[in-house]
Amino acid sequence: MDIKVYENEKLKEKLYYKKMDSGLEVYFIPKKGYTRQYAIFATDYGSIDNVFVPIGEKEPIEVPQGIAHFLEHKLFESPEHNLFEKFSKLGADVNAYTNFNQTAYLFSSTENFYDCLSLLIDFVQSPYFTDENVDKEKGIIAQEINMYMDDPGWRVFFNCLQAMYNTHPVKIDIAGTIESIQKINKELLYKCYNTFYHPTNMVLFVTGDLSFEGIIKVVEKSQKNNYKNIEEIKRILPTEDKKINKKIIEENMMTSEPIFHIGIKDLEIGLTGEKLVKKDLTTNIILDILFGSSSTFYNDLYEEGLINSSFGGYYTGKESYGHSLIVGESKEPKKVYERVLELIKKDAESVLSEKDFIRIKNKAIGEFLMGLNSIEFIANNFIDLYFSDFLLIDYLSLLEKIEYKDIVERFNSHFIEENVVLSIINPLE
Amino acid sequence: MEFGYSFINTVKKGGMNLDLRCERIQIKSGINLNLIKTDKFKSNLLSFYFLRPLTREEVTKNALLPLVLKRGTMELKTNLEIQKKLEENYGANLSVAINKRGEKHVLRFSVETINGEYINNKEYIYDVFNLLKSIIFNPLLEEGYFKKSYVEQEKENLKRKIESRINDKRSYAIDRCIEEMCKNERFGIYPLGSIEDLPKIDEEILYKHYKKVIETSPIEIFFVGNYDDDMVLYMKEMANIERGEIIDIPREQIISRVKTKNMVYEDLDVNQGKLVLGFRTGIPYEDRLYNGLLVGSDILGGGPNSKLFKTVREKESLAYYITSTVFKYKSILLVDGGIEFENFEKTIDIIKEQIEEIQKGNFSEDDIEISKESLKSSTRSIKDSIFLISEYFFSQILSNDKRTLDEVIADIDKVTKGEIVEAMSKLTIDTIYFMRNPKIMNNII
Repeated sequence: MDIKVYENEKLKEKLYYKKMDSGLEVYFIPKKGYTRQYAIFATDYGSIDNVFVPIGEKEPIEVPQGIAHFLEHKLFESPEHNLFEKFSKLGADVNAYTNFNQTAYLFSSTENFYDCLSLLIDFVQSPYFTDENVDKEKGIIAQEINMYMDDPGWRVFFNCLQAMYNTHPVKIDIAGTIESIQKINKELLYKCYNTFYHPTNMVLFVTGDLSFEGIIKVVEKSQKNNYKNIEEIKRILPTEDKKINKKIIEENMMTSEPIFHIGIKDLEIGLTGEKLVKKDLTTNIILDILFGSSSTFYNDLYEEGLINSSFGGYYTGKESYGHSLIVGESKEPKKVYERVLELIKKDAESVLSEKDFIRIKNKAIGEFLMGLNSIEFIANNFIDLYFSDFLLIDYLSLLEKIEYKDIVERFNSHFIEENVVLSIINPLE
Repeated sequence: MEFGYSFINTVKKGGMNLDLRCERIQIKSGINLNLIKTDKFKSNLLSFYFLRPLTREEVTKNALLPLVLKRGTMELKTNLEIQKKLEENYGANLSVAINKRGEKHVLRFSVETINGEYINNKEYIYDVFNLLKSIIFNPLLEEGYFKKSYVEQEKENLKRKIESRINDKRSYAIDRCIEEMCKNERFGIYPLGSIEDLPKIDEEILYKHYKKVIETSPIEIFFVGNYDDDMVLYMKEMANIERGEIIDIPREQIISRVKTKNMVYEDLDVNQGKLVLGFRTGIPYEDRLYNGLLVGSDILGGGPNSKLFKTVREKESLAYYITSTVFKYKSILLVDGGIEFENFEKTIDIIKEQIEEIQKGNFSEDDIEISKESLKSSTRSIKDSIFLISEYFFSQILSNDKRTLDEVIADIDKVTKGEIVEAMSKLTIDTIYFMRNPKIMNNII
């Protein structure tokens, strides 16, 4: 069997890999002594892929907002059996999620892993959409959307994206709106499915106390063989203007005190693989030095009562977009915003010391190692990094390679006042 | 990690048992060290649990304590110094928690530390242990009491934390239902206390309360990870403190008969209605029917195979989430869901109907099997999390449960259909809570 093994001695972890004839890539990280097993079957298809050329067609189409998420719900439908019942009987929990970039189907089990794996691969490859079952789902998803509408943390986040982006679909809510999902029908769902759920666009990741041979056997048996070779999927993204869309967005809703997201739009986009992940790590280290709980900034504002322990910053970046977010709760979010602007206007050397850098880097290493205790952490991060062309097993080595000069350089290029936006949710009068 | 929408809104199920062994050593009166050896993880976890009675008199002071203690010690006087110390130690993770377990108020102080072998330094763990010890036992004092400005700032932070309950509507609705249902019982007390108490608390009052907590509370220390004799010695020494008379915390009251039923509406500017139904079960966790209740609740609203998921969500498209949960120590069962305002009565009817179905025995052997599997599986899963292991063994002590993993799983397996029916037949509705929005409701009418 054509298997590749990656090993990281420092991590004391291994990664197994095999590419199946269908083009599907399968990865496995063994976790000796773990009671649970976890498998995740994911496609490189998320809410931002809303304009594309459907398979077998020539012209691009724009699909209704929220369709990737809707499709995720509908894949659980099967004409023969109740999937939940099947998984439940095997003692496994099955679930799925959709974000901007991926749709993932997963389960965790403590027994009967291989039966569950076979079931997972089978149901993701067997779409069954009818007018009736599509219609029925609209009510459920409408309640899911309503639940998020009442979540001030979610609203402040999306308003911040609205402020940063002009045309990029990352500004659109993943679940769409109650209006947009009404336009979804079974024909559109099949179009999306046939375009994006091809094995060459997907990955299977498994972790737990298992054998790779056993996993591969199940994959070979359960995979459908009727896939035609397809050309590369044509996704169309609008050109995003470098300028931010709006400086400030405020909204009132049921919340106890104002909550805010300060966003910094990343203009250094177009990276993938190691370069992208390095940028991500570098930016997150800077944000932790500047705004983390050991920063002067955090402690000054905390003492002044301007922020509480919910305050902090993090960065997210993908090939076509990226942003730093500095988030928290405050009675005076505009003051916090002014102070952030003041801070980032200073010289890199005066706000980022080499000593702080070394300390925060050590913390990042420790946090990553602790994360590897959790099979969910391993699986979800593996998938996220995989679709950015990077393997989780190489993460620690890359983190160790980051130098002080990298953070100075990045501070100077990314932390620019022009790219900063502010989103506030104010309590109702 | 990116944000995303999950297909099912999951709530972690409460833990049960595992075949890890816990060695329990009494250090002083009312202080025990519990050692759980495992080399599966890349880190280890040390926790101090302080137990207090959940009472109106001391709840707010208890809640405020960890917040103030975290601010500074005699050696490291500021949060900044403490945080730097933690980061230097590879991001050792200090956390404090304030929870209620039934009618007990539990304060937890923990540190999670990377194992020395990953960073070629086996000694630094003592540095982290020392920090935790100082935070608990050697707080920063000024003129004999806590530092005034820290107390005042944390009072303000606690006030804001209590106010921010409303931000998470689902858990707010659950808390509110419990508060209304148990308004004359200790269980109805909100574990973070109440805003009205705060003006009365100052650095002196809080410090005196702190002394009482240290001297009189039962303390359970837990270590999960790899350890040697030196470490055990060190941990024993950590809690070598002066003790007074240890308090006795009474077991929860269990009410099985409901005298007056409550119907509570709360009007808020929200998009989704939150419905919570509170039932009394009258079945204490020591009772032979308790496992039947757990299985019955799972059949009703545990997972996606449950009756409520199949009817309220899949058949009627009324909700995205609808679940049933047993509150172990207080013997109550709550059903909660997020729905359109106008579907209020319809949803209640379906919930009642589904409970009646179970009471009549209208569920299959498959349903029983599935729920048992689910409970057993989440029991086994505890073994994979250093935090759950600690919490699990702690809860075993709270409920004075000495069963092994195999015994707990075997007990779930033994549950019969008759027991499920019998347990579920004891459900009595006590309180219905509904969060609604009059503005939107008027538009509909």
